[in-house]
Amino acid sequence: MWMIIFYASRFFLGAVFLYASYDKILNPQAFAQAVYNYQILPDGLINLTALVLPWLELLIGLCLISGLWLPGATVISTCILAIFFGALVFNLIRGLDINCGCFSTEATEGPADLWTVARDLSFLAVATYLTAYTFFFRSAAYKSSD
Amino acid sequence: MPALIILACLIAAGTNQLRTDGLPLVGNWSVEDRFSDAAGDSMIISLEQAKQLFNNDEALFLDARPESQYAEGHIQGALNCPWQTVDSYFMELADRLNGQKMVITYCDGESCDLSHELALFLKETGFKNVRMLVNGWTIWQQAGLPVDVGK
Repeated sequence: MWMIIFYASRFFLGAVFLYASYDKILNPQAFAQAVYNYQILPDGLINLTALVLPWLELLIGLCLISGLWLPGATVISTCILAIFFGALVFNLIRGLDINCGCFSTEATEGPADLWTVARDLSFLAVATYLTAYTFFFRSAAYKSSD
Repeated sequence: MPALIILACLIAAGTNQLRTDGLPLVGNWSVEDRFSDAAGDSMIISLEQAKQLFNNDEALFLDARPESQYAEGHIQGALNCPWQTVDSYFMELADRLNGQKMVITYCDGESCDLSHELALFLKETGFKNVRMLVNGWTIWQQAGLPVDVGK
């Protein structure tokens, strides 16, 4: 039973990351604009982030689904979702009316709001569970089977 | 974990090199560079110039923010043309825009791109004299210039 939840969560989060990476890889210029709009990174890091982040998301998605490099993938997914959470909340609090740029580089998604934060939090919960499971429960299971 | 990050960096750098619309690794995000037209010329107007045109009634101001923010307050005499629903607003505004010597778009915040998108759109549509006032609503208020409230 626990394995089913573990696998289902992995596939779910993996699919989320793959879906999120797709549009950004195709439109780096538009995604760079979205990163710029967050007004958090220094100018010199914006393009680098816009270029690397989508590919990192793609790799994480692939790893989560395939099971390859699972410890690394779960930790990174937790970290970046936590960073997204921080960035979203930070801009909500200071009242910056920006586009999320989470799944689409188009502005049609509407501005980031509490719902966006809640969505990110739910992904973060799944990622945290996967990290904990990968590091503690699974290694415990391995040990007990030795 | 480092392997994943390094791999992502390598793929990103590689594909960026290969694709024709690749980004420079370090971009120029200065205000002048961001807010230029298709030909690369800056579309920015200074508050001083905007004020002068306003006083002489020589420019039409267009507020690119959503209706709710426009209703909370806007530059006196400015018309609302929210970028996100520009299609529905534009037909009504087209008549008012024709014959204007100058159209000045604005929104709020230095990073706000709505007024830039609107200005580019107007240029493409054929209006030659379009400028944008960066961070318009904030600096207009700070300068104590006339504003209106409501729709």
